[in-house]
Amino acid sequence: MRPSSSYVELPAGADPLLGIEAVWLSLANQPSNHRVLPDGRCDIILRFCASTVPISRISVVVTGPTTAYYDVAVEPGMGFAGIRLRPGFFQCILGFKPISLREQTLVDDVAISACPPLATLCAETDTPEALHDRLIGFVRSRVGQDHAPLSRQTRRILSAFHASSGRLPVQDIARMHGLSARTVQRIVLDATGLPPKSYARILQFHRAMRLLRDHRLSPSEAAVEAGYADQAHMTHALRRFGGLSPARLADATLVTLRD
Amino acid sequence: MTVRFGYTILYVPDVRETVAFYEAAFGMTLRFLHESGLYAELETGAVTLAFAGEEMAEMNGLGIRPQRKNDPAQAVEIALICDDPKSAWDRAVAAGALPLSPPQTKPWNQIVGYVRDLNGCLVELCSDMTNPN
Repeated sequence: MRPSSSYVELPAGADPLLGIEAVWLSLANQPSNHRVLPDGRCDIILRFCASTVPISRISVVVTGPTTAYYDVAVEPGMGFAGIRLRPGFFQCILGFKPISLREQTLVDDVAISACPPLATLCAETDTPEALHDRLIGFVRSRVGQDHAPLSRQTRRILSAFHASSGRLPVQDIARMHGLSARTVQRIVLDATGLPPKSYARILQFHRAMRLLRDHRLSPSEAAVEAGYADQAHMTHALRRFGGLSPARLADATLVTLRD
Repeated sequence: MTVRFGYTILYVPDVRETVAFYEAAFGMTLRFLHESGLYAELETGAVTLAFAGEEMAEMNGLGIRPQRKNDPAQAVEIALICDDPKSAWDRAVAAGALPLSPPQTKPWNQIVGYVRDLNGCLVELCSDMTNPN
């Protein structure tokens, strides 16, 4: 749920120790449909009406890991304050496994019954910025003093998927960490809610998007660099994960595993 | 237009840990560590040996095969010129480097030994051929 037109990330929002990949704000000026691309991440989002002060009608939304794009209808005056969680922190912060929220989104009462402390996020406030502080405070209280719910092994495996942008076969990643493919399967599924192959395909799709859109590679160059067998395979991935084509790319937010 | 060779940058899973290893194993000193812990440079003279967190690869739109100990070493090595390759090799191994090949005198009269660093990267410890004694 990241409307691109007014989407901004807080420059100092990321905090790897707390599992925060980004803290973001989005305000809609006109009615539109915003395409949400699968990125292998989960977000906690506060949806609010930005035109009234104090901000009183605040909805809490938890998005699970997805493998398909979807469109969100946005009305003018709607605001979204969100926090994107690093892979592997979902369960520690929300109290249940991300796989149980696969291809799903929890809203308000349903989200609060799944994780009762989320209710504290919906109290009235004066500014959207206060919602950010609240989200960060929520994550901090859930992660606690422990700070590192991920084992070194899990961090390295996730890092290998990201650094290679999904180009390495799961079997290779298993072998290079001295593990069985089955163990890698379990680790990635636990951390992200997605099977490693799906996770890798999504990372590869994001890199292809970036190479085409930001690095201005030709479709044939991008297909080779992103690790697709040929241009047709890349085109298929763009359509499947984003409903897009090389000639018509989304103005969507591409995310990375950043500090 | 001038171009000069400035850096060799290794993408590593943990920059701070890698710096600590290079200090202990090879006696190197830190020149610069970014507060994010995602980038560091060693005092290596005109050409800088630097480390970047693997996250930086994705952030820069690159795709790399990350180096791991269980994987074959990548097709590159860091060569460190030592006044005493044998002692340098012993110190590296004592600090946890993988003892790949003890220092030997090559036909061209250079002493060359190999270790793999904490991440699996090849490091050559050799005598100086530019200034032979």
